[in-house]
This record gives sequence, C-alpha cells and structure tokens, in this order.
Amino acid sequence: MPSEVILPRVDMDMATGKISKWLVPPGATVTKGQPLFEIETDKATMEIEAEADGTIRDLVDASARDIPVGSVVAWIDAAGEAAAEKPAAAEPAPAPPRGRQQDEGAEQAVAESPGTPKVSSGGLARVIGRERATPLARRLAREHGIALADLRGSGPRGRIQASDVAAASKPVLLEPRPARSIPEASPPATKSLFAAGDSTNPETTPVAASAAPLSPGSATLVRLREGDGTPLVLIHGFGSEANGWRPFLTGQSFTGPVFGLDLPGHGGAAGNAVAGFDDLVDAAESALLEAGLKGAIDVVGHSLGGAVAASMAERGMLDVRSLLLLSPAGLGPEINGGFLQGYLGATSETSLRPWMLELVVDPQTITPALVRATLKARQRSAGVEAQRRVAAAVFPDGTQCFSIRADLARLRMPVRVIFGTDDRIIPARHAAGLPPLVALHLLPNIGHMPHFEASEVVTTILNQVIDPQR
Amino acid sequence: MDAAVRELSYAQAIQEAMAIAMEADENVILMGEDIGVYGGAFQVTGDLVHRFGEDRVMDTPISELGGAGVAVGAALTGLKPIFEFQFSDFATLAMEQIVNQAAKIRYMLGGEVSVPLVMRFPAGSGTGAAAQHSQSLEAWLAHVPGLKVVQPSTPYDVKGLLLAAIADPDPVMIFEHKLLYKMKGPVPEGSYTVPIGKAEIRRQGSHVTIVATAIMVHRALEAAIELAKDGIEAEVIDLRSLRPMDTGTIIESVKKTGKLICVYEGVKTLGIGAEISAAIAESEAFDYLDAPILRLGGAECPIPYNPDLEKTAVPQVDTILAAARSLLAGRL
Amino acid sequence: MTMQVTDGGRAQPTPVPVQADGGSNLPAIYQRLGRDALRDALKKMHLIRLFEEGAEKAYMRGLIHGTMHLSIGQEASAVGTCMPLSDADYITSTHRGHGHCIAKGADVGRMFAEFFGKETGYCHGRGGSMHIADVAKGNLGANGIVGGGIPIAVGAALSAKRRKTTQVVVSFFGDGANNEGAFHEALNMASVWKLPVVFVCENNRYGMSTSTERSTAVANVADRAVAYAMPGVIVDGNDFAAVAQASFDAVDRARRGEGPTLIESKTYRIRGHSRSDRNRYRTKEEIEEWRGRDPIVAFEKELLDLGLLTRDESEAVRAEAEREIEAAINFAAESPAPPLKDLTRFVYSN
Repeated sequence: MPSEVILPRVDMDMATGKISKWLVPPGATVTKGQPLFEIETDKATMEIEAEADGTIRDLVDASARDIPVGSVVAWIDAAGEAAAEKPAAAEPAPAPPRGRQQDEGAEQAVAESPGTPKVSSGGLARVIGRERATPLARRLAREHGIALADLRGSGPRGRIQASDVAAASKPVLLEPRPARSIPEASPPATKSLFAAGDSTNPETTPVAASAAPLSPGSATLVRLREGDGTPLVLIHGFGSEANGWRPFLTGQSFTGPVFGLDLPGHGGAAGNAVAGFDDLVDAAESALLEAGLKGAIDVVGHSLGGAVAASMAERGMLDVRSLLLLSPAGLGPEINGGFLQGYLGATSETSLRPWMLELVVDPQTITPALVRATLKARQRSAGVEAQRRVAAAVFPDGTQCFSIRADLARLRMPVRVIFGTDDRIIPARHAAGLPPLVALHLLPNIGHMPHFEASEVVTTILNQVIDPQR
Repeated sequence: MDAAVRELSYAQAIQEAMAIAMEADENVILMGEDIGVYGGAFQVTGDLVHRFGEDRVMDTPISELGGAGVAVGAALTGLKPIFEFQFSDFATLAMEQIVNQAAKIRYMLGGEVSVPLVMRFPAGSGTGAAAQHSQSLEAWLAHVPGLKVVQPSTPYDVKGLLLAAIADPDPVMIFEHKLLYKMKGPVPEGSYTVPIGKAEIRRQGSHVTIVATAIMVHRALEAAIELAKDGIEAEVIDLRSLRPMDTGTIIESVKKTGKLICVYEGVKTLGIGAEISAAIAESEAFDYLDAPILRLGGAECPIPYNPDLEKTAVPQVDTILAAARSLLAGRL
Repeated sequence: MTMQVTDGGRAQPTPVPVQADGGSNLPAIYQRLGRDALRDALKKMHLIRLFEEGAEKAYMRGLIHGTMHLSIGQEASAVGTCMPLSDADYITSTHRGHGHCIAKGADVGRMFAEFFGKETGYCHGRGGSMHIADVAKGNLGANGIVGGGIPIAVGAALSAKRRKTTQVVVSFFGDGANNEGAFHEALNMASVWKLPVVFVCENNRYGMSTSTERSTAVANVADRAVAYAMPGVIVDGNDFAAVAQASFDAVDRARRGEGPTLIESKTYRIRGHSRSDRNRYRTKEEIEEWRGRDPIVAFEKELLDLGLLTRDESEAVRAEAEREIEAAINFAAESPAPPLKDLTRFVYSN
C-alpha cells in the first residue's frame, strides 16, 4: 500500500498551509523520519518528516498557494510496489474533512480548493461550506454580482462585512477619458473585475466623462464581467445606467467579457449638450472605439439604448456580430410622456415606485430594494437635469422624433427584437412591420422590462443569437 | 390654540390624565389598594379621592385576584375602571383574571362584548425593594393576545398613552417604571393621546439602532451622547408599546444602521429582546444586518437587595456603552 | 319544600313554612309567578334536558368537538334561580352552564350552532360549550375557570350600583369554586360594598371527583356566608319552588340595596363531570337514588297535582320543547362554519 503524505495541522487554528519548500525531489528514496518539506504558517516554518520508508512521488507543486489541512501532498511507495497499482496522482485537492468541519458535516474541503483566495482566519471564516458574512454583505454581494469567496473578511473571525463588499465593488474601469484601451486598463493581477480599493485611489475612482467638456455628451464604458472572447456590450434605456444590468447578469455565464455603457447624462456620464438622438449614437460609438473594442462584439440594447445600438451598428464603424433589442425605441412616435415626466420628477421612493410599476406587469418585480437602488443611482448619476435635457432632445413633447426602421432594414447580422405585449411605455404594436430579416419575439403578459420580467426567455434568446462557438 | 406646556413629574402626569378622564366621563373609576386617602403607594392617585369621592376612587381590600375580577366585570357592564396594582409583582396574584378573563372574553364571546379596562403596574428595580417588588413582568402580559401593553418612558407619553388607553375599548396594561415617577418633563395641559402601538425615535443616528423600553430609554440616550463623542451616532428608539409592537419603525431604522441592540429591564432570555430580534430576522431588515443583534436585559436571577448587585442585575449606561462600542468596533 | 337560612354569625336554620295565601292551597311563590310563568319554567326545564341529551347524542356521533359538561338533574336550580330576573339583570355562569343560559332566555338554535362551532353560534364558533354567552339577555358568559365568574359578577354589580340602575347580578358557581380564593375575595368585597349580587352555589356534591366532604371544611357552603356577614341560604336544588323562593328573596334584598346573599342549592349531576368521566368516585346506587328525584318529573307532577297544568298541556309543553330542539339542531347543522381567514377576528375591537 502506498502511504499518503498529508499537509498536517501544526497549529490550533490552522485550516490551510503553504509548502514553502520540498526537501526531496520526486522519485527520491526516503526513510521514515526524514524531513520531506517545509510548511509555512503564520507563526513559523516547520519541517515535516516522512512517516514511511519508500519512494516519494506525485509531489504537489510548492507554489505559494494555500492547501487545506489534511490534503494529500505526495505518496510514498513502499519498496517493490508497482507504479501501475498506484492510486490517483496526488492532488492538493479535497482531503477528507477533519475535526470541527467534519463534525459539522461541512463541505469544507471542497470549498477550500487550491487557489481560492483566503480570508484572514482561514477555515473559521467559512461555515458549512459558505463564507462567513453578514446578511448585509451577502445582499450587497448578490446585487453587485460579487462572489463572497473572492473577498477578505475584515470582521471578527474573518466575517465579511458590508465595508468589505463596498471596497470590492468600486468599478475599476470608470477612468477619465480619453480612456486607454480596455484590455490594458484591466489590472492583470485582479481576478475579480471589482478590485479591492478605496475611493481615494485614483486608479479605482469613477470619474465622470465631464473631463471632455467640448463633447455634447459622452458615454462611459463600465466593465461588468471579466472574460475571454467576444465582448458583449449592453446599452441601457432612458433613465437607467450600466449598473442597471447587474440584476439581469446575476447567475448568467458568458465566456466573453461584458461591458455596460453609461449613455450621456446617465450613470457616470455627463450629458451637457445632447442636441438629438445622433449625439447619443456618437457618444456610444466613440466610447466603444476609444476603449479598443474594434473586434467583434455582440450588442444588447434596451428601449432608447436599443435604438442607439441599432443605429450604431448600422454605421459600420464597429464590428457588431449580433443585435438584441429589448423594447426598442425608434419604431413609432408614441412614448409614455407622463412616465418620462413623473419618473424624472420623483424624488422619493414613495413617488418613484408608482412610476417604476409602469415598467412592469408584475408589481412584485419592483421590490423596495430596487426602488431604493434606482433612486440612489439617480442621485449618484450625472443628474436628473442632464436626463431632462436628453429627454427634451430625443423625446420632445413626448414624441419619439427619431426612427431606426431604415437602419434595421440595412442590417445583415442577426437582429432580434423582444417586446412585451403589455408594455405601457412604448406600445408593442410599434414592432409591427419590421424588416424581413429582423426576428420579433412577442412576450405575452410582459411589460417594458423583459430582461427583468422574463429574464430566462431573454437569456435563451441572447444565447441563440451570440455566436455559439465562442 | 396651543395648550400650555408645564413641567410635570411622571406621577403627576398620570394623575392629571386620570383626572381629565374622570371629569369627562363619570363611568371612569379608579380601583386599587390604598389609592384613596393614602394617595397610592407611589402617590400617583394623590388627592383624587377628595376631588372625586370614595365611590370613584375606590380602595379595594388586599385582594388582587378579586379586585381585578371586579374591574373586569365592571368594564364588561358599562364602567371604565383604571385598576392600580400596588406593585406589578402583585399582578401574579391576579393573572387568572387578566389572562383568562380580561384578555379572552371578547374573543370567547365572538365579539359580543369588549372590556374597556386599564390596569397600571408600577414596575422595575432600583428602589432596593428586592425580589418581590422589583420585577419587570411586562413581557408576560405582552405574550397574551387580547391585551395591549404599553411602557411609557416620559411624562408626556404616560399622560397621552393613559388617555389613549382609557379611550380604548380593549384592556390596556400600562407598565410604569418606579424610577420614572419623579422624573419631570414637559406636559401640555388638557387632553391629548399618544397612539398605542407606535414607537418613537428619540434620537436619530446612522451607526447603530438601540431599541429600549421604559427607564432604559433614558440610559440609552445617555449612552448615545457618550458614543457621539467617539463619532458613533446611535439611533435610539423608544418602543413605548409592546403589544401591538411597532416593528415597522425598528425595521426602517435597522435598514439604515445595519446594527441593532435591544435594551430592556425584564429578564434577558425569552423576553422583549428576543421578540425584536426575531422580528428583524424575519423582516426585510435581515438583509441589512451587518453585525449580530445584541440583547441587553435583566440577569438570570431575581432582583437582589444589595444596591451594587441590584445595579448589576439590569443594564446600566455603561453596559449599553460597552456593548455599542464592541459592536461598532467589530469585536462581536 | 325545605329551606333554611343562616344569617350573619348566628347560624340558625329556620324552616320556612309553606305559605297558603288567601285561602289558596298554592305555595306563595306559585301565586306570585302565575300559571303562564310556571308553564314557561317547565318548558325551559324540558328544553335544558332535551338540549343536553341532544348535545350528548351529537357528541357521540362526532358532531361536537371537545368535551361538554352536562347539568342533567340540575334544571330546577337553573330555572328557579332565574325566575326573578329580567333581561336587564345579569348572570355569570360556569362550565356547566347550558341550563343557566336557557333559563336566562337564550335561543337553543344559536346554542347548538355554537356547539357545532358555527358562525351563527352565540360566540361565532370561538367559544364552544364552555363559553356560551348571550349578552342581550344579560348572560355575561359561561366560564372555563372555576370561580372565574364570581369576581366578574361583583364587578357587574358594582357597575349596576355605580350607574344607579336596579339591575341585580346572579353569579352561578359550583361547590368546587367555594375553595377558590376568588370566591372569598369576591364575597368579601360584595359585602363590604353592599352590592346587588346573589351568589348561587349549585352544590352537586363533587368537584370533578372530589366530594365536598373531602374538600370543604364546613358542612354547608352556605356556612361560608357567616364569614362575609351576608345571609347564607340552603335550598333543595331539585325543588323548583324552593329555589325560586330563595332567589326571589335574595334578589329582592339586593334590589333594596341591602347587599348580597349566598344561596347554596343542593342538587346532583346525573351525568359525569364531563364526557370522559368514568364515575369511579360514586356508586350506581347513589346515582339511581338521585335519578329518582328528577326535578322535572317532580315539578311536572306538582303542577299537575296543584291543577296548574293538565295532562294534555303537559304533553303539549314537552312536544313544543322537542320541536324547538329539533329545529335548533337543524339550524345548527345547516349553518356555515366561520371563515378561516377570520381566525383573529374579535381579539381586539379595532
């Protein structure tokens, strides 16, 4: 029988350890009592000795990573044991749960797979296979699409607190324009898009694009997800912002990176002098080009953002491979002017909520948290006044004064339009008479926010339309 | 037409409320032990017997059970009795009438009757009266559907809540902390009510919510002033009503602060703090909690006689301070 | 007819002779009540008996939830005591309270409906057998707590006095309650304040299984009256006339403002304490002996003997009661149950 060499617990509160150095090479003949490797803990470096005679093999890489206590780090074959009958090669992978974790029936070892960033006090920070975090921290992480496992808890016993999530959720890509291209701008060492940092760090401070005062308004690109592959660009509707896509993205997996645009006057983007619809398209196009998104991209746009997406795609400056338009504007003259007025005028959760309810069929969709987040986002954003100017420019007198019908007719990439039949902002009948190459999905009993109210359907359609080979 | 506002003691405010109600409605009567010429053990009824006569300020025999039952029967049949227990501890003798009768008759009889009864309970420790005269049993009664239970902390509130209780068609139990009787505060002349079932935010703050009852409200406010010197802004909520409990106000506050400390004098376990904590844990405020909820309540022993032991047995300003600091420092 | 009075500290049984008034051979109380009231009393006694027998049958058929405490054998006590009372007067009752309720004028249909837990019941199905009340008729309610209603009755009497009405309150309770503190506290206060209340102890000899001999230090519950300086009256509770006479005396006294009276109505429950009673504490012979002293049979015979009732009238009264009970059961069975959503209705007024 080969004997295991495990990473032993050498300290009371030790849950993981690092092998700082192997003292024997693979294939060496070792004798019981011979030092095999050095283990590094917070307090000391200790030598670990062999517990059997034989030939050592399958040594775990001594790179600087944490290995859960009890993990197998090598095997020792007794003399004469055939390599063929050896059990699976040693992996610093799941070892049987031990001690406390075992008592709790925890999936401790699974959660502690190598490479997982560690919280300060190791295993104690994780309870029954989940991170120790306050309810508030959990909610914030959920809303921002942040994995708790990626965070360090600064609270007692490594508990992740709201401040830890807040520190991690500062967008890193909201840099002053002119921006460097996105791939370079991304800090290479940061796995999470939301690198830890505080708001005083200039590298992580969101800066509105007002740095370019001569522009009629500029759009800002926000990286919502990390990834390799064709980027997905999301363009929000009037009154929203890039971050408004986060609930939709929660639980979704895309191979490519995901970017959100803040249109002029929205989110972190100023919108001083938007004179018309084309200014919005200019701003979106410039932001993407300046960010270096010159290769293939897929674009999703909602409402006003849908119109911007279609028009931008038609210009041909970007390599838009597919277009998914959710309740797009620009297909007819009517728009709910009362909604625009009321929504812009609302200054409290009480007054905002009724207008948000106009967006959906199921009032349950509009949770108090969503209302609050929307209100807060507006307070953070470039300002309601800027949005008023945008509205005055593109929806004067409550009328959509631009059309994307001609643009749509010229597009040759896959284009899908999704409308809820019960849309109270833009009537679904606008979707009648689309060009023959544009597919229409009419979702019954859905309002203006199909990506909220029918997110699964929208996801399925999105996956159909983006290149499946990616 | 603003009523004149004077400084009255808590006891005077109670007496004034009772006098106003008795002037307005001759069916309002006072019952209790030694509330007549003696003026009540804590001089709350004072000279009311001279003003309203022995028929309306009735000294009862030392018969808590019978007396409470008489009050229930009188309330069922047209009177509005205000029954004073000499000490809230003595209500244990009358539990049958309070819990089985007053609280349940309306329900048992399918809504055919109501019991417009007010009972007053001088409660709490701090007077050196030891184990059988110092208890805080409000949570016992607050556990019983059919009763309403209030715990006013200021002269203004006790007058307003008592007048609200007298006007209420259902039995209302008022727990009065004995240490508050001499506390003075602004009280408007004339009749006004404070709504039963509504908490009051005594101090605004964004870092931690402290929900307190009765005397603990004042200790929490004192602690809050100290905390402010460290830059910790505590929001202090005076619960005022245990049943019905205004969980909405607490939920909104915890959503703002993310941290909650409950301070009350009754025994810590299975008490008011447990109820508040659970209400928060079950509410939307759960997702806003950024630290464990703390309960500061009475020790797990009868109230002792020795003054230092007595103080140690219930939360003091320092207890609240220490707890808040630990919580805010992330040590809990 | 037998009756003794113990007055104040001088416990001296005084037999009250049967009075013949103006040459009539009728008891004075019968002359006072008149034929119609007597027939009505007989009908109420029948109603009580039939109600409880009907309830018993319904229970055995599983139509009734929970237990019930039957007063079969005690009908004269309930009806006789309520004879001087109007709807404005109050009673408080006990867990064995069906008789008091009917005697005070309740509708047996709504009573059955309450038994069946229906919305049309007196308590909308919230109270059941043990909490039936009929406030409109002055019944402040049965009570599940032994002695629970006694202080409440005193409170109602205090209220009546304070509001300067002529209302009188009768508090029914059993022999078991005479050892409760509430009994003593309440009697004391009623006497101190001279309140218009009549305490009626229906001594049916057993508090559940424990006999009064084993539970009570005095020979008669009425002897307790001495301690509270009020008249203590002992009557044969199975003798309608005796009960009615004692009740009239006590109620008249209360209305005159002379204070409370304690009446001990000695009677017997033929059935067990509740449906789960196995009668281990008393003999069949004892039960049979009391069965032979059925108050309804005795009252009916007396009315027939005195010529206050004919055989045909007697049959008619009984038939009428049977019809009422049948209709009541049908009403209850067909009534709707309370909506589940109304579970917490009636906890508070608003």
